[in-house]
Amino acid sequence: MLSSYGLAVFLILFAVFIVLGFYGRRWRKGDLTKIDEWALGGRRFGVFVVWFLVGADLYTAYTFIAIPSSVFSIGAIYYYAVPYVAVTFGIAMWAMPKLWKVSKEKGYVTASDFIKGNFNSRSLAILIAFVGIIAELPYIALQIVGMFSVLTVMLYGIGNIKFIEDVSLIIAFIILAFFTYFSGLRGATLNAIFKDALILLSVAIVIVVALMNIGFSKAFTNLPLKYYHILPLQVNAYWSLFLMSALALYLYPHAVTGSLSAKSPKTLRTSQSLLPLYGVGLALLALFGILVRGDSSAMSFLSNFPLASRGTYVVPGLIFYTLPSPLVGMAFLGIFIGGLVPASIMAISQSNLLTRNIIKEIKPNISSKVETQIAKISAVLFIFLALGFVFMFPLSYSVQLQLLGGIIILQTLPSLFLGLITNRLNKYALMAGLLAGLATGIYWMEVANKFGPWTTTLLPINNSVGPIFIGFLALMVNLAIVLIGSVIALPFSKK
Amino acid sequence: MSSNNSNRKVVSIIAGILTFMPFLFLIMVPTYVKTQPELGGLPFFYWYQMLWLFLAAILFFIAAVLWNRFGGD
Repeated sequence: MLSSYGLAVFLILFAVFIVLGFYGRRWRKGDLTKIDEWALGGRRFGVFVVWFLVGADLYTAYTFIAIPSSVFSIGAIYYYAVPYVAVTFGIAMWAMPKLWKVSKEKGYVTASDFIKGNFNSRSLAILIAFVGIIAELPYIALQIVGMFSVLTVMLYGIGNIKFIEDVSLIIAFIILAFFTYFSGLRGATLNAIFKDALILLSVAIVIVVALMNIGFSKAFTNLPLKYYHILPLQVNAYWSLFLMSALALYLYPHAVTGSLSAKSPKTLRTSQSLLPLYGVGLALLALFGILVRGDSSAMSFLSNFPLASRGTYVVPGLIFYTLPSPLVGMAFLGIFIGGLVPASIMAISQSNLLTRNIIKEIKPNISSKVETQIAKISAVLFIFLALGFVFMFPLSYSVQLQLLGGIIILQTLPSLFLGLITNRLNKYALMAGLLAGLATGIYWMEVANKFGPWTTTLLPINNSVGPIFIGFLALMVNLAIVLIGSVIALPFSKK
Repeated sequence: MSSNNSNRKVVSIIAGILTFMPFLFLIMVPTYVKTQPELGGLPFFYWYQMLWLFLAAILFFIAAVLWNRFGGD
């Protein structure tokens, strides 16, 4: 259990965090009755703030719980997160400034707004909004796993493990629900900077201490080959995982928001171009999954948990056994709010989609007071729904939650990314492709997991190809239908 | 005006190539599936891809600056 000294640091920093959140709502305040002001901070952030704001989307529980957990439990294949971060901004630096320009011109706030205007189709926009909401759910669940695992390590020793895990989950849910309900998106900017400062500082300290005390040579001793590098049969899984993740990141509703808050398309492009540097911390965290094996006290602590959940405690465990307790308190708070802030941003972007792109489409004349009330309540409701996904995969494999979200959100790629390049795609072909992509994606999930409980998002093809990420296969089905459908429909369209 | 347009074209090709480099090198997965040479005990597989985080940022940044100055919005 964390000492009272460490606990005090955790609580004091949490108080600072809450104050920053409230102060942030007044920071650079504009006219909050305008939707741009409320949701996008008035589109006036410069290179530095955008760098932090967009980068903050990277430092989530995915980075410091899920990826290290999978590297620890499965091996080098889950290092795919590093090439993913290296290339994703190469896509974003061209796609997002384009979206920024169209959005500014036409007053769009969400990707669904863009779809509605671009394809002149209300049903496609509603469908995209709906898919966006669903795809965020497992991603929020992953953030809850992150908050929960820090609490579990902090409370470890006050009772049996089952009891501690239940208490941790309830606390994580309550804090997340309250924070989301009372804070808004504007508060999140300062919080994001605070959170990343804590994380980066903690990662830097842990890596220095761990390299001095453990070192890679010791950590790698006696490890099987799959920890040194991927195996020959994992090559196709590797590139499909990192390339599809790179394409998926900017399709998520919450990722669009940070980009649209930039001052100009050029500012946004410069900022995006430098973001691969943000991934260095991610790479080091992934290596914690290896380094922890050289620390005997951390390993003996981890052995108290069953294999199915052990991985999730790798990073908190390593921090706990390498740092003095005040620094442990600081690092734990970083991880805790590192789940809290993104989960809350995701839930808010879901409720934005629900009110703006679904409810208002069906019932256009609701008052703004009612709209805000619906948005706040639905955000909490979405967090509650996300709870249902928390135990969908064994905790050690929580990265699969993000990959499941990826399979779903990737199906909006033709409408959004191809929609930025051309307006000759047929809206019915886009809808058919999206639905077919979702259906085949879910079907292949069932096949890959032999119609039992879900543990993987990779579908084994044969003995020479090896497994491939289902998101890639489903996207190919989707794209084929969109392209063939659009070509067939071409003579009939009167554009 | 026409020289301006051809400048724009040259810049877009250079920026495109610079952006494409990290994709090209990282998609060739078998080229880095190996342990040696190690760096401080870390297998090649890990540090090589970490190196690409820096290289990608440099290449993307040059592409962004070139395009922002000579290309357009």
